[in-house]
Amino acid sequence: MAIEIRIEGLTRDFGPVRALDDVSLEIAAGEFFTLLGSSGSGKSTLLKMLGGFDRPDRGRILFDGQDVTLLPANRRPANTVFQDLALFPHMSVAQNVAYGLRVQGIGRREQERRVGEALALVELADFGGRNVNLLSGGQRQRVALARALVMEPGILLLDEPLTGLDERLREQMRDEFGRLHQRTGATFILVTHNQDEALTLSDRMAIMHRGRIEQTDAPPRFFDAPANAFVARFVGIDALLVPEGIEAGGAAAVVAGQRLPVAGRAVPGALVALRPDRLALAPQGEGDAPLVLRIAEIQFRGLHSDIRARFDDGQGLVVRAPVDIAARLAPGDPLHLWVQPGGAVLVAPHAPSAR
Amino acid sequence: MVTGAEGRANRIAIWALALAGLAVIYAPPFYLVAISLNPALQPGLPSLSDLSLTWYARLAHERGLVAALRQSAGVATITAVLATLLSLLAALAYQEMRRARSAWFLAMLLPMFVPGVIQGLALSVIFTRLHLRPSMLTVAAGHLLWAMPFAFIVILTSLGAVRGSFLMAAADLGAGWWRRFRDVILPLIRPGLVSAFLFAFLLSLNEFARAFYLVGRQNTLPIEMFGKMNAGASPTIYALSGAIFLVSMLCVGLVMLRRRGTGSQAG
Repeated sequence: MAIEIRIEGLTRDFGPVRALDDVSLEIAAGEFFTLLGSSGSGKSTLLKMLGGFDRPDRGRILFDGQDVTLLPANRRPANTVFQDLALFPHMSVAQNVAYGLRVQGIGRREQERRVGEALALVELADFGGRNVNLLSGGQRQRVALARALVMEPGILLLDEPLTGLDERLREQMRDEFGRLHQRTGATFILVTHNQDEALTLSDRMAIMHRGRIEQTDAPPRFFDAPANAFVARFVGIDALLVPEGIEAGGAAAVVAGQRLPVAGRAVPGALVALRPDRLALAPQGEGDAPLVLRIAEIQFRGLHSDIRARFDDGQGLVVRAPVDIAARLAPGDPLHLWVQPGGAVLVAPHAPSAR
Repeated sequence: MVTGAEGRANRIAIWALALAGLAVIYAPPFYLVAISLNPALQPGLPSLSDLSLTWYARLAHERGLVAALRQSAGVATITAVLATLLSLLAALAYQEMRRARSAWFLAMLLPMFVPGVIQGLALSVIFTRLHLRPSMLTVAAGHLLWAMPFAFIVILTSLGAVRGSFLMAAADLGAGWWRRFRDVILPLIRPGLVSAFLFAFLLSLNEFARAFYLVGRQNTLPIEMFGKMNAGASPTIYALSGAIFLVSMLCVGLVMLRRRGTGSQAG
């Protein structure tokens, strides 16, 4: 059965480095939840604590309301697919998958049945007798998955399981995770630095940075309403402008003397984030006025061109434009930019972490 | 770039040097084996037609040598068993350590660098003080100090095959410490344990200095042989030397074969 997870004020120091800084989080039973962040963000430390491989200095972890903070890994109803897979090199595929059942003292016949099912689930039905050291990367990946899933865990922890696979295999396995999540119904927690994986698979995800969670939401919300400038940049919204002022009520901001309707909440020091997918080089409807910038540089990028443009006050941004349109423009020309509804969002500046 | 001719000249020089080195190392023991096959009383190279196993056959009747051999084998077995077990524990402890690691490593290796004469003397003084009668066990105690650093290094090296994530994975699948040790660590380091055992056995079998101070009434083989040489050598000594040399080579060869085998085999 899927397990619900509650994390309360988790903190972990490694010497002078605070790997986790007062992290709290709730993950619903059966959810596919992703911890997204660059290396050193604390996402792997958090996963290790969920698996029972490390203990927090402060804070608690609850599975279905039960405190498991001090429970060692071998007594937790969670199973892990490790980053390096950690297949036992001295055991065959079937022995690897059966290991957890063997430890539990489950009978031989029952073991064989469940191993067979698990291998069939990851489409390795005939691979039981194979030497794990001689399998391909994707096959090893599947063995590691089967070894965890055969335990029928309430929580499956995936620690960067797709790093080290080539692009094609990566996509294939990514889809596999989605399928297995539906089949098993367990709570899946994926740790990754790959935004693509996170956005494709997750019901909800958390972006982590320096041991803190910057935002927890469903994937589209990170674009509609990024919590702060860091999150906006992390998901690829690079155009962050400092407004001269925000109209009372917060419906519009003024950037370099030009009025710009905005969504989001006006907080002190708020920045205007421009979503690159909601900028257009041609009018989109009746009567909306474009922003006017001046082109500084045009860079050919293959299937598109990057146009670097500046406002009068020196703030700049990069717009992706079709190659044909970019070819008709030159540095020094004015650039008219229509912002579609929801294209401009107010975001909080990134607060320096309180330390 | 090195031209072809230059490269060939270098290669020939290097090979010649290597072969000369090997000859210097291995010629004396092989010479010993050769003279052990000479049925004449005076040591010397036998002619091919004279080759005989006379002295080897005579070995069985040399009461003193046989008893010494038995004593040495006993000491070596005790030493090898204890050295392997203790080194395994020491190596496991090393793995758990963080800050004390290098100090622990040094402490384990240091006995290797203490001259055998000093170690033997020190132990003998202390055993006398404690009223421990010299016996097979006192010799084994001395040999343990000698063999354990080697066994420790061999086992520590083999523990490199046990990735931390294997143990995490085993824990993740429900295994407690003992099961992780039995199911993951032990099978992966077995070749290392066998090597450590054989090394310790051979080191003990050949050791003279420590044993010289610690033996009781029954000599170990190297001491017995040393005594025999001083008393005017009987050619049986050469036969015994030859036999020990060949058995040692066999053991080391076995270890190498196993080493090579472990790379590819599973289970």
